[in-house]
Amino acid sequence: MKKRLLSLLLMTVMVVTGVTGCGVSKKESTTTSEKTYKVAMICDSSISDGGWGAACYNAMVTAGQENGFETQYTDSLTSANFASSMRAYCDLGFNLIFAPGNQYTDAVKQVAADYPNVNFALLNGTVETANIESILPDAKQIGYMAGALAGLMTKTNKIGFIGGMELDTTKAKLACYEAAAKVANPSVETFSAYAGSFSDTAKGKEIANSMITNNNVDVFFGDASAVDSGAREVLSTLKDKYDIAQPSDLLASQKSDVVVGSVVTDNATMVGLCMKDVKEGTYGNKTVYGNLANGALSVGTFGTAISADVKAKYLDIVEKIKAGTFIK
Amino acid sequence: MGAFLNVNFIQDLLLSMVRMATPILIVALAELYSERAGLVNIGLDGIMAFGSLVGFLTCYITGDPYLGILAGAIGGVLINMVYAFCTITLGAEQIVYGMAINIFAPAIASFIYKIYFGINSSLITNTLMSAVPIPLLSKIPFLGNILFNHTPIVYFAYLLVPITYVFFNKTKAGLNFKAVGEFPKAAESLGINVIAKKYLASIICGALAGIGGAYLTTCYISTYSDGVVSGRGFIALSAVIFGRWMPGGVLLAALLFGFTDALQLRMQVMSSGTPYQLLAMIPYICTLFVLAFFGIKKAGPKANGKPYFKEER
Repeated sequence: MKKRLLSLLLMTVMVVTGVTGCGVSKKESTTTSEKTYKVAMICDSSISDGGWGAACYNAMVTAGQENGFETQYTDSLTSANFASSMRAYCDLGFNLIFAPGNQYTDAVKQVAADYPNVNFALLNGTVETANIESILPDAKQIGYMAGALAGLMTKTNKIGFIGGMELDTTKAKLACYEAAAKVANPSVETFSAYAGSFSDTAKGKEIANSMITNNNVDVFFGDASAVDSGAREVLSTLKDKYDIAQPSDLLASQKSDVVVGSVVTDNATMVGLCMKDVKEGTYGNKTVYGNLANGALSVGTFGTAISADVKAKYLDIVEKIKAGTFIK
Repeated sequence: MGAFLNVNFIQDLLLSMVRMATPILIVALAELYSERAGLVNIGLDGIMAFGSLVGFLTCYITGDPYLGILAGAIGGVLINMVYAFCTITLGAEQIVYGMAINIFAPAIASFIYKIYFGINSSLITNTLMSAVPIPLLSKIPFLGNILFNHTPIVYFAYLLVPITYVFFNKTKAGLNFKAVGEFPKAAESLGINVIAKKYLASIICGALAGIGGAYLTTCYISTYSDGVVSGRGFIALSAVIFGRWMPGGVLLAALLFGFTDALQLRMQVMSSGTPYQLLAMIPYICTLFVLAFFGIKKAGPKANGKPYFKEER
């Protein structure tokens, strides 16, 4: 008898909460008349990964503050959940969905077709439709910038590249890294390995260790978010080993003896441009390019290990990359 | 090909093998204790994640990696107690609760990290445990550096193997423990407290799995990120099966995995023409292969995975 009463009571509580909940949300949607812009980001890694996820989240928040957008995010998603997560945000009335990577392309195309009133920004994407804009930082220029610096800095003439997953942008960055290093320093040799993950810091440590011990590599560049931190840790225990960071300006926010420079991608400005398009109603059918010429890519703060002479040579090369005369 | 025979390369490879095998070994031993008492705990990945966060946080706050390991153990026990209560006292399905732990423990870990540290553009670092070379043995030319120049947790992990062997095969307490996993009703009739032994097994499992996780963030790398465990819990699970539930076998399994993983990374660097995905498969294919030939489910404790109801006829 007691059990039945208890279960009846609990059921009543549940039903009442449910009904009130529905009632409240209905009321909210009818009284909202002024336009608040909302942007949401979905991410497959954590946003506190100290790498790509964090950089993209910070970019969205910065751009949101400048342009008056409210921000939301869902991180640590598996690829099966990309589309459903985006649909949930669309149903909640969000104006802009930010997908920070090439891996979301299929999910974005799918969801965008079903929600023509919601805008989508795809970072490193190549899709342009009425409600999808692609943000394309020039992966080639990033590769050139990193490769040139590595080629100039290396004393052993061996440089390393650590990849996460084999995305098209990573492949492009690696190819250009190798090519640029060769131009800056003809006797240089490039070694590369893929960790297969953007979050396995232990793998980064192992890869860096093996490249240093077996191949005598002394300058590293990574495109693998948290994995790069693992590599940097190994480098900090040894002498004369250096790392080039991306996409945020590492030395601007923390001290590191190992990092000599960064290739900075200003995602905030580019996301901001998308947000302006949403507000003006001119969204769609374009790609927001990010390169040295429009300031979206830039050279980060230099470390202490880099000599003035190398710095000058490097900045000279960056000018050539900007003008397109560095590598034909 | 000559690169393979280079002494430096082999030494570096073996050193890497020992380092990479340690977390798998500790967690596999944790699972061994749990399965020998009849509890299949597939939530190891989750416990490791929580243990690594707690270890990282404690080490960051107190500056002492040993406290971090201890905290990791306690954290692991706390998480495993949820599993233990549900499967032992409530008699629920063990696999289901193991998966539930796998979902909720890493999420809690991620949540606590975000609350405490906020969102930074770079990972927070803490102090690493320093290696303690054993005085005379670490001077041995080739093996010294590989085997005797590690952090104490590594020594603890490898010492745990003979200790576990002696416990299970030579002590009365160990035999009683195994009896609980083989035929709990017979054990109960002999006066062994089956429920208490199962809880003990869960505590040991949680503690060791927590230590395995804490090892990752206090001895291996100095940062915590969401994917720091990367499936090592599941590898440990398979290590127990193809070690045939024996400590020696588990050690071999962990070393095999560590070896193939270390080899795969080095091969990637050496042959940049081969698609890296093929090389990354090597450790897992090796595991499958060995499991197919050497893993026999019959060798395991017979009452493994079955809930124990005291009053059942």
